[in-house]
Amino acid sequence: MGQNISITKPLINSIDELFGFIDMNENKNLSFHHHLRNGDGVINYVLQHYITKGITGLNLYPSSIFPAYTSILTLLKNQQINNITTNYCNGSVATYISENGLPGTFTMQTHGGRARSIQEGLSKIDIAFIAAPYVNIYGDAIGYDGKNCFGSMGYAVVDSEYAKITVLVTDTIVDEPISNPEILGKNVDYILKVDSIGDNSGIVSGTTEITKNPIGVKIAKNTSRLLHELGLIKNGFSFQSGAGGVSLRVTKDVKEIMKEQHIKASFFSGGITKYHVDMLEEGLVDELFDVQCFDLEAAHSLKRNKNHHAISASTYANPTNPAQVIKDLDVVILGATEIDLNFNVNVTTDSHQTIIGGSGGHSDTASEAKVSVIVSPLIKGRLCVIKERVTTITTLGKNVDCLVTERGIAINPLRQDLIEKLKDSKLKICTIEELLEKAYHYTNKPKNMIKREQIIGEIEDRTHDIIDYLYQK
Amino acid sequence: MSRSYLFIPGNTPNMIQNLDVFESDAVIIDFEDSVMSYDKDAARILIKNFLQKFHEQVGNIYIRINDVENSNFESDVNDTKDLHIAGYVLPKASVEAVNTLYKICNGLDIIPIIESPLALLESQKIAASKGVVGLLFGAEDFTKEMGIERTLEAKELLYPRSHIAVVCKAYNIEAIDTPYTAKDDETGLEQDAIAAKQLGFTAKALIHPNQVDAINRIFAPSPEEILQAKRIIKKSEESQKGAFSLDGKMIDLPIIEKAKKVLEKAQKYGL
Repeated sequence: MGQNISITKPLINSIDELFGFIDMNENKNLSFHHHLRNGDGVINYVLQHYITKGITGLNLYPSSIFPAYTSILTLLKNQQINNITTNYCNGSVATYISENGLPGTFTMQTHGGRARSIQEGLSKIDIAFIAAPYVNIYGDAIGYDGKNCFGSMGYAVVDSEYAKITVLVTDTIVDEPISNPEILGKNVDYILKVDSIGDNSGIVSGTTEITKNPIGVKIAKNTSRLLHELGLIKNGFSFQSGAGGVSLRVTKDVKEIMKEQHIKASFFSGGITKYHVDMLEEGLVDELFDVQCFDLEAAHSLKRNKNHHAISASTYANPTNPAQVIKDLDVVILGATEIDLNFNVNVTTDSHQTIIGGSGGHSDTASEAKVSVIVSPLIKGRLCVIKERVTTITTLGKNVDCLVTERGIAINPLRQDLIEKLKDSKLKICTIEELLEKAYHYTNKPKNMIKREQIIGEIEDRTHDIIDYLYQK
Repeated sequence: MSRSYLFIPGNTPNMIQNLDVFESDAVIIDFEDSVMSYDKDAARILIKNFLQKFHEQVGNIYIRINDVENSNFESDVNDTKDLHIAGYVLPKASVEAVNTLYKICNGLDIIPIIESPLALLESQKIAASKGVVGLLFGAEDFTKEMGIERTLEAKELLYPRSHIAVVCKAYNIEAIDTPYTAKDDETGLEQDAIAAKQLGFTAKALIHPNQVDAINRIFAPSPEEILQAKRIIKKSEESQKGAFSLDGKMIDLPIIEKAKKVLEKAQKYGL
């Protein structure tokens, strides 16, 4: 029998010391993960060094960009960045790029597409800086322990495997072995010790509470009824719902149906919250496949529950990975900033063309799930969510099956099987055109304000196809 | 005949826009307590414009106007009586107040709110007044005037509730129970609504759209009630008698009439 030999990794005590080993000018493709979301302290810590040194021609590959990542804005204003490839972008960096673009290319991928792109060598990472809350001296790391635990490290795994240089940045180093590490020591080159990797309370950014808004409640009720009538809530079904308030309300309503009818699900996947954990602990679902934790309750569950699995982005949604979890997904509930008459969905820009988000796993899960359901108020403020053509295509309409609103449900005509199942339904089933007319009755038809002159970025689907462009606002 | 009467403040465009979404059988647009005095004219303008354009979308709409002593009373009525509404909910009701409203409201329905001890004692006369189609119990003001605390158990409401329910039944008008104010307490809401139904209330007012489902369910006939009503009507038609036996129990005209009402309700609510 062979014997695993663990080798201690070089322990670095400052960023200055690190760049005594790494040539900053030779390694300008930098990646980061976003698991700490708005509580991340590592991106700004590392990039401040690049600001100070005035390094130019940088190419960034953060899995997402949150408002707290202000160092990126400084680098942009200093003209130090050429290209950015990411899955989600929100805050001042997003606004700056919407108004100014980049010297090079701004590429928005999906979570699965990012993993695929790195694996296939299309995204070449020189240095992966990985915030890691619990690391041992051999370079093994997990995300669900340590003073700044944040749960799954799913987005960082592929970076650690394929980057030329992998640097774990941590505030907790132990001597003991770690069982089932998410990041393997064999893929790690350096361990950089810092006082703090951030504030893990920042992972709860955005809506992670069940909505009580009556419109949201109505949409959720319509959704759970729809899933029930389609026969999708049955023993062994699989489900993904994310952390939006309406999605979580759908989860709650589905849970009630499951309890009433003694139904047990096989797995929930994607971003995991305390509500999903509760259902695991109540025996309503066999397993959780967790690529990112949306609250600390989920992070703590990963440590204590053997049926709560941390998975990599590749295992989650890489279309070329045979073990891809979402290929077995029955139902996914997703949001929309806009949806158009061809069921294309936009979660990337607002209607004024400012970048406000990105696909994340939106296109991945819509592509793979047997039924993808978009939940949204038909009228948001004074505007209809349905457009004749979305401002930006994030997810192709051919992968979107249902739109559920407070005033009715539209089924994509490509899914005649679903339409047939619902022909005797008491739910308000209508065409998406009819829903648009209902909304226009209240809002009237808005003027088209979209400018499509200067391209500032591209939307790359998980297939590597460019499915739309971002335009300067 | 409605199961649920949902209060919506008259100065909230985002709620008014969704009147038809919440699935309440009836909606009460409020010009009274939920609208501050400086905003009452704005509420009237909003509702007038909304109902002029969107009246076909919404069904059974009532407006809770300000009471007859309030300076807004006449404007509330005059600005809305030609709109497509079912009628008015009248706070601080008395016989005189109902008569005053009746004279100027173009024959629209009136639902007086019984919210004082005096109104409770007068409730028979109020129920018998022209235009009155139902009584709404207002427990918050009633308990305030009684100087007693309103509790979630609502034992202190047993007498006024029973009285109002009996009066409404006697005059064949709708008995509408007071809202349950703990809006996030689903269990308490259900218990409160069931208790009201047991006393003879035919409907309940609500203060939050998330309460509609429970109220509609509780004040609708249950599947068992519908099945039994169908059996009674079938046997009645087959036997051609005024009284007959079913499952060992005597069925006579009042029970047959009650069964007809159950089926009428079931049909109305698509059950």
